[in-house]
Amino acid sequence: MPTVVVMDVSLSMTRPVSIEGSEEYQRKHLAAHGLTMLFEHMATNYKLEFTALVVFSSLWELMVPFTRDYNTLQEALSNMDDYDKTCLESALVGVCNIVQQEWGGAIPCQVVLVTDGCLGIGRGSLRHSLATHNQRSENNRFPLPFPFPSKLYIMCMANLEELQSTDSLECLERLIDLNNGEGQIFTIDGPLCLKNVQSMFGKLIDLAYTPFHAVLKCGHLTADVQVFPRPEPFVVDEEIDPIPKVINTDLEIVGFIDIADISSPPVLSRHLVLPIALNKEGDEVGTGITDDNEDENSANQIAGKIPNFCVLLHGSLKETLFIFADSKKKSNLMMSLFEPGPEPLPWLGKMAQLGPISDAKENPYGEDDNKSPFPLQPKNKRSYAQNVTVWIKPSGLQTDVQKILRNARKLPEKTQTFYKELNRLRKAALAFGFLDLLKGVADMLERECTLLPDTAHPDAAFQLTHAAQQLKLASTGTSEYAAYDQNITPLHTDFSGSSSDRM
Amino acid sequence: MKIFSESHKTVFVVDHCPYMAESCRQHVEFDMLVKNRTQGIIPLAPISKSLWTCSVESSMEYCRIMYDIFPFRKLVNFIVSDSGAHVLNSWTQEDQNLQELMAALAAVGPPNPRADPECCSILHGLVAAVETLCKITEYQHEARTLLMENAERVGNRGRIICITNAKSDSHVRMLEDCVQETIHEHNKLAANSDHLMQIQKCELVLIHTYPVGEDSLVSDRPKKELSPVLTSEVHSVRAGRHLATKLNILVQQHFDLASTTITNIPMKEEQHANTSANYDVELLHHKDAHVDFLKSGDTHLGGSSREGPFKETITLKWCTPRTNNIELHYCTGAYRISPVDVNSRPSSCLTNFLLNGRSVLLEQPRKSGSKVISHMLSSHGGEIFLHVLSSSRSILEDPPSISEGCGGRVTDYRITDFGEFMRENRLTPFLDPRYKIDGSLEIPLERAKDQLEKHTRYWPMIISQTTIFNMQAVVPLASVIVKEALTEEDVLNCQKTIYNLVDMERKNDPLPISTVGTRGKGPKRDEQYRIMWNELETLVRAHINNSEKHQRVLECLMACRSKPPEEEERKKRGRKREDKEDKSEKAVKDYEQEKSWQDSERLKGILERGKEELAEAEIIKDSPDSPEPPNKKPLVEMDETPQMEKSKGPVSLLSLWSNRINTANSRKHQEFAGRLNSVNNRAELYQHLKEENGMETTENGKASRQ
Repeated sequence: MPTVVVMDVSLSMTRPVSIEGSEEYQRKHLAAHGLTMLFEHMATNYKLEFTALVVFSSLWELMVPFTRDYNTLQEALSNMDDYDKTCLESALVGVCNIVQQEWGGAIPCQVVLVTDGCLGIGRGSLRHSLATHNQRSENNRFPLPFPFPSKLYIMCMANLEELQSTDSLECLERLIDLNNGEGQIFTIDGPLCLKNVQSMFGKLIDLAYTPFHAVLKCGHLTADVQVFPRPEPFVVDEEIDPIPKVINTDLEIVGFIDIADISSPPVLSRHLVLPIALNKEGDEVGTGITDDNEDENSANQIAGKIPNFCVLLHGSLKETLFIFADSKKKSNLMMSLFEPGPEPLPWLGKMAQLGPISDAKENPYGEDDNKSPFPLQPKNKRSYAQNVTVWIKPSGLQTDVQKILRNARKLPEKTQTFYKELNRLRKAALAFGFLDLLKGVADMLERECTLLPDTAHPDAAFQLTHAAQQLKLASTGTSEYAAYDQNITPLHTDFSGSSSDRM
Repeated sequence: MKIFSESHKTVFVVDHCPYMAESCRQHVEFDMLVKNRTQGIIPLAPISKSLWTCSVESSMEYCRIMYDIFPFRKLVNFIVSDSGAHVLNSWTQEDQNLQELMAALAAVGPPNPRADPECCSILHGLVAAVETLCKITEYQHEARTLLMENAERVGNRGRIICITNAKSDSHVRMLEDCVQETIHEHNKLAANSDHLMQIQKCELVLIHTYPVGEDSLVSDRPKKELSPVLTSEVHSVRAGRHLATKLNILVQQHFDLASTTITNIPMKEEQHANTSANYDVELLHHKDAHVDFLKSGDTHLGGSSREGPFKETITLKWCTPRTNNIELHYCTGAYRISPVDVNSRPSSCLTNFLLNGRSVLLEQPRKSGSKVISHMLSSHGGEIFLHVLSSSRSILEDPPSISEGCGGRVTDYRITDFGEFMRENRLTPFLDPRYKIDGSLEIPLERAKDQLEKHTRYWPMIISQTTIFNMQAVVPLASVIVKEALTEEDVLNCQKTIYNLVDMERKNDPLPISTVGTRGKGPKRDEQYRIMWNELETLVRAHINNSEKHQRVLECLMACRSKPPEEEERKKRGRKREDKEDKSEKAVKDYEQEKSWQDSERLKGILERGKEELAEAEIIKDSPDSPEPPNKKPLVEMDETPQMEKSKGPVSLLSLWSNRINTANSRKHQEFAGRLNSVNNRAELYQHLKEENGMETTENGKASRQ
């Protein structure tokens, strides 16, 4: 989940904050302090997160494009100038563009908006934006909800009382509502000071930036892992089951399937599964990402020498036919999440019905590993796989009639195909109640009979006459001749088939 | 997303009254004469479909598309109305396919134009439709049972599509009122019933159809709420193609479908097999397959016409697949498709190509020229899916290398063994229910977990942590002991394995014990065997509770481990002999020259004499005509490599380095047995004979040659 930090650099952010002690602080200093804390946390515990920094006033600017280099982000914080008034809408439009250009519309992003709760004045102010929200065309759509899955966290450099004294809080709450309720507003508890800003950002970190720790298990083989990015809760059906499904911290391997059988399945999200070493307090010792910190490095080195199940699994997946890798040189274990439910992939069937091959009478993969029990075949074939009859366009009907005619001219060699096509047409005509067609085709076959050349096989005339007669009978619609399941069978003649016995 | 939305239940009510037998007055030429045969022949007169035929084939097309894209959880109930209502199928999943419906329609047949119009009415059908909407479906029942006290969350909504020929707007209003009234009544009935559900929401779609060329007596009306439960819309449509088009638009609206046109499909021409032309095929699918386009408002995609919301199609370009290599694409969604024109040649060419197992990547045509693969068509088990592939930057790019993380520095993981482990623990579907001994349902997935639990009770991850898993001789036991139940044959094999090991110990065969982390030579031979036996015991003990037969294997193991004193004594002697081996080197050399193939055959005979089966097993293993098992495990370095022998005292950097290289190399191939057993790089052949028969063997060997 990439993060966009959107920092308000309007003049109101330079309002001084009275703090006991010598130095005078402005709100932007508090904001920078909080963001520094956030970046430091990410640099140690969440370092794979991509973060971008946007500053805005009446204009907006991308200060740092998406990066994992938190030093750059940190530097940018100290190089911010002060500008004019707050204009939130244009900044949010900017966020939309930045995210979509980089990640498309499917990757969830977190937007951390840092502001002082002064929402600007006049055109472009949030009040103005919200007031005109209902009068918008498709071309100047309000940027919320974001056109990608998102969380909007609003960090206010103000306390609740201050925001409530105007309608600021109300407006900000509207913003969250417009984002389909995805997000939260944070305010400073108590007086504005460094400590309280820290505790506010601490809450954000707890909510959105705590690493997801889990245990990867395969029977008795286990490994502590961090799953990155954090798997998000998912609602399967808002009506029947409105409670979001969350990922268990026990990731249990239940068995293995060849990659060809899984066959590019649709997934909700993909995550890296990184082995970690936990000390007794449950703190992470190393996630395996190189670090300049020497203490951590030595801890990493020790952890590196302890056999880890993840590495074994990764190695074996790469070595065997279960090819499972990034094309890049550096590779790691990756986990994909299917949509929760009993049957995430139709071609694998119900998950609960998958069992060990040793329970099967014979190995479904074959002794030489040359076959597979997958994919499962559905009970009913789809229309494109079963030669259905559709006569909505005249060409569909004409093609079917032509097929019969073509085979009629090659009787008796094509007797079987002729009757197969004839019966297909008969069935469809009966189902659609299109009896005139049966009569028409009967007439046509009779005409064909008269056009037979002298060289024609005598059986041809017999079969054509017989077929025409049967169609005529079916076209009366009487149940005796128009039964759907009944087929017209070739006339048994002295000429038909050498194998028939002659009495 | 809601499972039980209006589209869960669709009721078709098609008018079967006498006026529906009327012609739609749109002619179809069916007698297309082939050019060179047409002289003098007048083609047969074109025919036309009846209003009934048009209605039925359009509604079948609606169902075809729906079943293709939603084979489950979207159900159709087909009702035909004349002097009464004929319900052609039920909500059960078995009834949900085109064949069933076609057969039922054929049984009804076309309307009888001579029937008394006074007794016939569409109302019978509409009443039956409301009645059937109250009936619970399998899915609703299942969800209610599952939710228990929250069963009321399961909704009951539905849609009635009524195709009729109405007389006027007031006639239409009368039909609507009738539905409204019937819902009211049936909801009262359903409230007091366990197997009926009240209708919460019903969408009535009234389609008035009339012959081409006539004026419509009914006006169109967009969707309107008649009551909190009922909404209604009226469509006045000419019969023939127009009706089919209308139903095609409706099926897209009702099931949130969108259209994609695959362009540039190369196809062999029917007439000229050598040339190929490019064709387009239009497919329908759920609109989520276009989610990226919809959100980003990508309007520069060619081909999207602006004729209306449901005329739009997104054009994607065919990329001829190169090979059939297996690749795991990052796919964010897969949606079933249905071709718009299912029987056309381009459509069936495309679908057959896919059904034969090929996949096709699809490219977004872009003006800028950069190539973006955004979708893939692929079939799975006879169903074709449109896969949405992620084409933007990955947030997982540049992941940390696994070798830098925990356990990344360890180099002797049992990679090959775990590969085999994964192969053995692959899954397969068990579609028929199985029952446990106590009669309860057995869940295959739980069995799979059980198996993994058993197979991993003792599973060292690295080669230097184990001895037994590096020994080919242990495989017969290790592979069966993890089983839930053993056969007599399995037990016998385990016992044989143990006897075999006893024999190896007596002969003082070296063991592949790792010396990683130890200095010098590593443990003595008898210490090695102690380690090996301990490990084997750990493995067997982990499984003794599986069955009584597992217990027997352990008993055998324990019995064989505790050796009688004379055996110990002999072992000691054996070790002394080992020390003297250098001296007997010459004798070995002589013997070596006299070796012949026949010897082994003869020796086998000698040994078999008075020997139990354990000896036999050993002979077979060692005899030259038994090839090594193909799946040999990689061996670790032996404890007695010459380098190690020399490296007493401080170790030089060179010897450290060459040790390392040798260790690495030794893992890549199986060590030659002779070198393994060699002393100062000289191997003594047929050691076991000497051990059995002392110096006599040599003499026997000589004798046999004479």
